[in-house]
Amino acid sequence: MEFKLEAHRIVSISLGKIYNSRGQRGGIKLHKNLLVSLVLRSARQVYLSDPCPGLYLAGSPVPPPQPGEPAAGPPAGWGEPPPPAARAAWPEPETPPERPAGPDARRAVDAEPAAPGAGDTLQGGEAAATAEAAWRRAEVPRAAAAGGAGDPAGGADVCPEGPRAAHRPCACPPGGEAGPGALSCAPRPAKDERPVPPPGCPRKRGAAAGDGPADCPAPGSSPLKKPRRHPEEPAGGAAADEEEMETGNVANLISIFGSSFSGLLRKSPAGGREEAEAEESGPEAAEPGQICCDQPVLRDINPWSTAIVAF
Amino acid sequence: MNCSDESTYGNKADIISTVEFNHTGELLATGDKGGRVVIFQREQESKNQVHRRGEYNVYSTFQSHEPEFDYLKSLEIEEKINKIRWLPQQNAAYFLLSTNDKTVKLWKVSERDKRPEGYNLKDEEGRLRDPATITTLRVPVLRPMDLMVEATPRRVFANAHTYHINSISVNSDYETYMSADDLRINLWNFEITNQSFNIVDIKPANMEELTEVITAAEFHPHHCNTFVYSSSKGTIRLCDMRASALCDRHTKFFEEPEDPSNRSFFSEIISSISDVKFSHSGRYIMTRDYLTVKVWDLNMENRPIETYQVHDYLRSKLCSLYENDCIFDKFECVWNGSDSVIMTGSYNNFFRMFDRNTKRDVTLEASRENSKPRAILKPRKVCVGGKRRKDEISVDSLDFSKKILHTAWHPSENIIAVAATNNLYIFQDKVN
Repeated sequence: MEFKLEAHRIVSISLGKIYNSRGQRGGIKLHKNLLVSLVLRSARQVYLSDPCPGLYLAGSPVPPPQPGEPAAGPPAGWGEPPPPAARAAWPEPETPPERPAGPDARRAVDAEPAAPGAGDTLQGGEAAATAEAAWRRAEVPRAAAAGGAGDPAGGADVCPEGPRAAHRPCACPPGGEAGPGALSCAPRPAKDERPVPPPGCPRKRGAAAGDGPADCPAPGSSPLKKPRRHPEEPAGGAAADEEEMETGNVANLISIFGSSFSGLLRKSPAGGREEAEAEESGPEAAEPGQICCDQPVLRDINPWSTAIVAF
Repeated sequence: MNCSDESTYGNKADIISTVEFNHTGELLATGDKGGRVVIFQREQESKNQVHRRGEYNVYSTFQSHEPEFDYLKSLEIEEKINKIRWLPQQNAAYFLLSTNDKTVKLWKVSERDKRPEGYNLKDEEGRLRDPATITTLRVPVLRPMDLMVEATPRRVFANAHTYHINSISVNSDYETYMSADDLRINLWNFEITNQSFNIVDIKPANMEELTEVITAAEFHPHHCNTFVYSSSKGTIRLCDMRASALCDRHTKFFEEPEDPSNRSFFSEIISSISDVKFSHSGRYIMTRDYLTVKVWDLNMENRPIETYQVHDYLRSKLCSLYENDCIFDKFECVWNGSDSVIMTGSYNNFFRMFDRNTKRDVTLEASRENSKPRAILKPRKVCVGGKRRKDEISVDSLDFSKKILHTAWHPSENIIAVAATNNLYIFQDKVN
């Protein structure tokens, strides 16, 4: 449990850093924000991997996430798990004894015990309360997501035991509605090369890229509302909320930011290389100003939402 | 260190952001956050003032970079000097490269100790004379004047970097140099400012797939075709420019397997390499990450040959250091002239030296309270736990706002320059 608290705190701190970095002199530092995003991803994975019934709001039943990790290989991008070498190096007492070589096969193996029996496995791991176990569990949700099927939701965001019970505060419509309205759902169509679509992306794209990206089929009206649901979770204040632990909000935030920090304001795929630079996620882009300025929609969103959008 | 001489850079307003000796050690350049460069020159030894032998005094000060605004991107460009690198001296003038986030400049620092006097068309103040009043002509003569050191920008290498420049390195051919930002490395010719060659580009086609950035780069000291660059993932790549025009494929890849028992949320951050330096011999490279300094043999890629713990007591405090951003501090590391000792900075104005041969190390402090001129630097010790001895400092008492990120070692003598925020300390080892 303390891992969840720690992870929660780290997530809040990280979000705050990324938000604050947008205003710093000299432009956003790509290196620092890359590192912060890695920490954020790790913390988020640990946070989500800890089963805590209160955390997950049983909203509308959500179909299990899309198999985020097909045989296409390790998911690219921010959501990428640690390199297989490092992972293999970690002692993994809870995995099945046979350990296939490739990461994909490995994830497939993980998925089986993870998905339905994840609760028990994870509970056991939690009881052990070792960092290793926490890290192991961090791997599991991804695998579990991979094992799921159907809705193109961000796999890594879903607690393995509850793709159905998932914290879907956004009330992601079931059945593969890949609209940008689905905060936790990946709007990216299958053509997207990223096997684990970032849940946060579609909403950001829908919100920020006024005209709606080509790969976001649904109109972006509802996403704008999503961030406003948690205006009470300011960047700095989140860190102080440890005791109360508004798990619902944090879960929402996690799902908002998703498994990656990518796809910022992707106007259209035809943007070309320059635009690709500009559209890279806010903290990582060297041109954040350009992104923010280009999106008139951003002006209408409250600051916290703007952070999410720019993220 | 036996004795110390101390020069203090008195300006409290600006934080020193880079320190570099020139190739002879006669000059020491510092760059600061305000875009200024201050060059110190070592005094010549004189029989009259034995005790002032070898002191460094201010030689030249100039504004290298100004804050700029990129209107297209609505971005301010900081004037902070990220790096200074000297060119080897080829005539009476000194040349150095200084860079901020976006622009590299070549500065010429030269002395003037004569000035022409006796112009016909101008009077002594430089005002034009009425030609009608000129009745005689004279030849202007050069007369001695007080020594004046002037710095002039000779080249400006701009608009070649989308991301923030973190390193510059002069090639051993003295004709080219490279500049590295987060994702790309460019090769320049000193004479050509309107174009550069891109020799490394790790920008992914899809920025969402970005997983690592370039953190430092340096040319081999002798082989003008070889350079290394370090990454945020703790890896070093050695590239040979003869292999291809774009050196995206490395010749050698240096990486140490991660220790799984040390895994934490912050493992990736602390493995990011903040500095990479070739030894003077060219046989080794030294890398600095957040907690350690490592020495690598160029012939062995799978692990370093030496690892030194700089401040391992911080390992349990990574979360706090993450909160206060200290974990992102980029410490540099330096070799001494003979490659036998390496030095790097830490917190609380501590800096550490590791003797590679004796395996002994020492922690010293750069502070005015503890260092009087010609006093002997006392080794410091950080108490990790348990009982704290009288002279020790406990980890919790360390001042993390006092960090020594930039140090420099004279190329041939035991003289070091240590930048502590906005103070510069110069320590000399005087063997009596």
